Amino acid sequence: MSFWRKLTDIRNWKTSSKAAVILFMAAVVLFSVLSFINLSREEMMESASDQIKQIIEEEKESTRKYLTITYNDLGAVSYLSFSTSGAKAIRESYVGFAGRTYNADMGLAKFTGQMVNYTYRMLGKGENMLHGVKLTLMLTTLSMAIGFFLSIFLALGKISSNTILSKLCGAYVFFFRGTPLLIQLFVVYFSFPIFFNFSWRGLFSSTDPEAVYKGAFLAALIAFSLNTAAYCAEIVRAAIQSIDKGQNEAAKALGMTYGQTMRTIIIPQSIRRMIPPLCNEFVMMIKDVSLVFAISLMDITTISKSIMTSEGNYLVFLPALVIYLIITAVLTFVFGKIEKRLSIYE
Amino acid sequence: MKTRLIAVALTLCMIISLASCSNTPTDGTSSAADSSQDTSNAPTAAPTAEPIDISGVELINAGTLSIGVEIGYPPFEDFAEDGTTPIGYDVDFAKALGEKLGLEVNFINTAWDGIFQGIDVNYDCVISAVTITEERKETMIFSDPYINNFQAVVVKADYTGEINGFTDLDGMTIALQKETTSDKLMKDYVSTGTIECTISANEKVTTCFTQLTNGEIDAVVVDSTVAAAYLASDPDKYKLAFQDESEPEQFGVAMGMDNTALQTAINKAIEQLEQENYFEDSVEFWFGA
Amino acid sequence: MDDYEFILKTEQLCKSFGSLQVLKGIDLEVKQGEVICIVGPSGAGKSTYLRSLNQLERITSGKIFIKDELFLHREHNRTIHKAEAEKLKAMLLEMGMVFQRFNLFPHKTVLENVMIAPVLVRKKSRDDAEKLARSIIERVGLSDKFDVYPSKLSGGQQQRVAIARALAMEPEIMLFDEPTSALDPELVGEVLNVMKALAKQGMTMLCVTHEMGFAREVADRVVFMADGMILEAGPPKQFFENPKNEKAISFLRSIL
Repeated sequence: MSFWRKLTDIRNWKTSSKAAVILFMAAVVLFSVLSFINLSREEMMESASDQIKQIIEEEKESTRKYLTITYNDLGAVSYLSFSTSGAKAIRESYVGFAGRTYNADMGLAKFTGQMVNYTYRMLGKGENMLHGVKLTLMLTTLSMAIGFFLSIFLALGKISSNTILSKLCGAYVFFFRGTPLLIQLFVVYFSFPIFFNFSWRGLFSSTDPEAVYKGAFLAALIAFSLNTAAYCAEIVRAAIQSIDKGQNEAAKALGMTYGQTMRTIIIPQSIRRMIPPLCNEFVMMIKDVSLVFAISLMDITTISKSIMTSEGNYLVFLPALVIYLIITAVLTFVFGKIEKRLSIYE
Repeated sequence: MKTRLIAVALTLCMIISLASCSNTPTDGTSSAADSSQDTSNAPTAAPTAEPIDISGVELINAGTLSIGVEIGYPPFEDFAEDGTTPIGYDVDFAKALGEKLGLEVNFINTAWDGIFQGIDVNYDCVISAVTITEERKETMIFSDPYINNFQAVVVKADYTGEINGFTDLDGMTIALQKETTSDKLMKDYVSTGTIECTISANEKVTTCFTQLTNGEIDAVVVDSTVAAAYLASDPDKYKLAFQDESEPEQFGVAMGMDNTALQTAINKAIEQLEQENYFEDSVEFWFGA
Repeated sequence: MDDYEFILKTEQLCKSFGSLQVLKGIDLEVKQGEVICIVGPSGAGKSTYLRSLNQLERITSGKIFIKDELFLHREHNRTIHKAEAEKLKAMLLEMGMVFQRFNLFPHKTVLENVMIAPVLVRKKSRDDAEKLARSIIERVGLSDKFDVYPSKLSGGQQQRVAIARALAMEPEIMLFDEPTSALDPELVGEVLNVMKALAKQGMTMLCVTHEMGFAREVADRVVFMADGMILEAGPPKQFFENPKNEKAISFLRSIL
């Protein structure tokens, strides 16, 4: 309640927050206007050379087409290219900006065009959730959430007085921290189907062309969740054990059960202490996701590497770096806010 | 056609083994010692007819031909079971080249990403199933081709459908190795809108075949030579559905732009090997009938 | 009113930490409404004795009776008899505990600190628990601090919240483990006042304390402990003016 009141009470905002919001809104407005007046695919197609237009006409009827038309719309800027492969490859590219089309075969326009194209591909735009940034974000967020949830039980098991349970949880952590994530991923994706006689793709609709990606994603999600659970378990355990013993005694003296004590007293207090290492784990995870290259999924790193090998353009790493930095910045900001909110009582 | 090839190959084999026997009287004992490696009976170059002049060739290490190769693409290049000895069609070819040129050969295992950047830096040339393309010719020079390769479609042995061309892959889920000719070809089919299929692009060709075995995908698009090797080792698992004979690809030795002296020498060696029917023999050995 | 002689009784209570014997057979009988102050040099085992009563420490041997009923009997570190789970819990809830270092829940407000156990353990509705909590917090004089987090309170205020938290469980016996030792001298008074008021209302209290003035004024009986044993016990007047035990005499001399 008080949060919303503070948020809507604009008169009492700090000057810097006001300035930031004004700048942000101005940027949004500018971006929307530029996006609105930007050219559509059809409008940009008109700039094509006669040669290209002729090929398009010729290929209309043919079953085997050779011309690839790429149209990437990034809001304010768009990119269009025509290309054929083979010995006599043709290549033409254009950048659309502010309602005009620019030839992008050389110079700054070429650079802009490439950046738009690379960014577009890394963002996985025009593709479903299992490509590029979307894949990275979904895989990290989901496996962190599942892994963290599992890790609470693992940590409690590890510090439990039940020796068997404690040893079991300890063994789990030991196994998943002691073996490389890539190999765990291989085992889940390649070996499980052989042991249990199923296919990952078979778990999804056979008519769905994306089933192979979904299957690989599910395998990756399982491997990543299990792995991150082990790492988080140590974070959770350390945080729980850092809580003053007196808290436990006070709860016990009040007649609270072990479960009640953990749920309402110990874990809520320890969560704040987990935030910095969890944020760290999250950021590491974002980069670890690139291991999905091994099971034919394409995340940001995999896409940029593949662009680099096929086009030999090392500038591809620029947008990749920027995208990673933005994600990490947002994440650090969010975790910082959460930490601040949770430490309200201190 | 295939049977004739075998006949030719068999005769060749005999001639070569006879020739090598007659040339090295003590061969009986030495080859027995060598045969701990299962590749020892792979075809080797026949004795040099006329030595090739390599006086103008500049090498990174004098007297040694350093070769960049991405080991892990059977049957072209792979490690033997000991994990350290490179074997394969390309490896044999490189050794034969070395014999012809009177040079030691040194294999430098390197990742496919950036393999061409290493030419003239880490090694003199690349022999690693490199397809000769116009694009590549802009930044490097090639020897004459030493093998022809086609694009092939491999399916599970129990697959009942019919595939007569790449357009028949419409609607299927296929696997291929990233950044290979297969990858470029299929992406071309898809990006031009000719067909629609889901592509699982993998770092390693083995991943494609594991995916096929596990039922994750319907078909593998791969070099015919590689396909042949997989089919030969697991005939009850896989079968060849289609092979595109219309556009053969050719593999060549890749060298630095300025290294024309080496190119001339290698081309001469290839010509001699051709005359000695080395290639037919080696193809027969590595890819079977 | 239930019919029993002693609300709390221990027989030959012993506790060892490894080879170190901390309690060497403590016999104590407490009548309902009695205020007992346990005094003695540090390391005497006073706190351990209190903590053994409500099971924060597991005793090595001895018997604990609550309302004349055998609550726990252990010999040589093995349990001979234990009340049934339900009864055990109920008996434990008869004892409220106040710690030297308050041990308030820092992530909960004053009101939540006091409410949480009645809601979770006594299964009271939130409304009832809140009503009860507010009245108890008022009793300890903190009616203006309901929604404040403990970190914003002084030590004395925190200890009063801790007392309120224990009282909210409506115990019949209150155990105070050096409640003023961690406080600045000027804050001791406010806590002692709350305790005095509590004693006046007829609460049975066991206080481990160094506040001799408080013991003299409020206690019905003073128990002197040293080296894990009770060496002297008696009304405060007798204990302070005419101690008999050697150690008690030297202890009193050292602190007065």
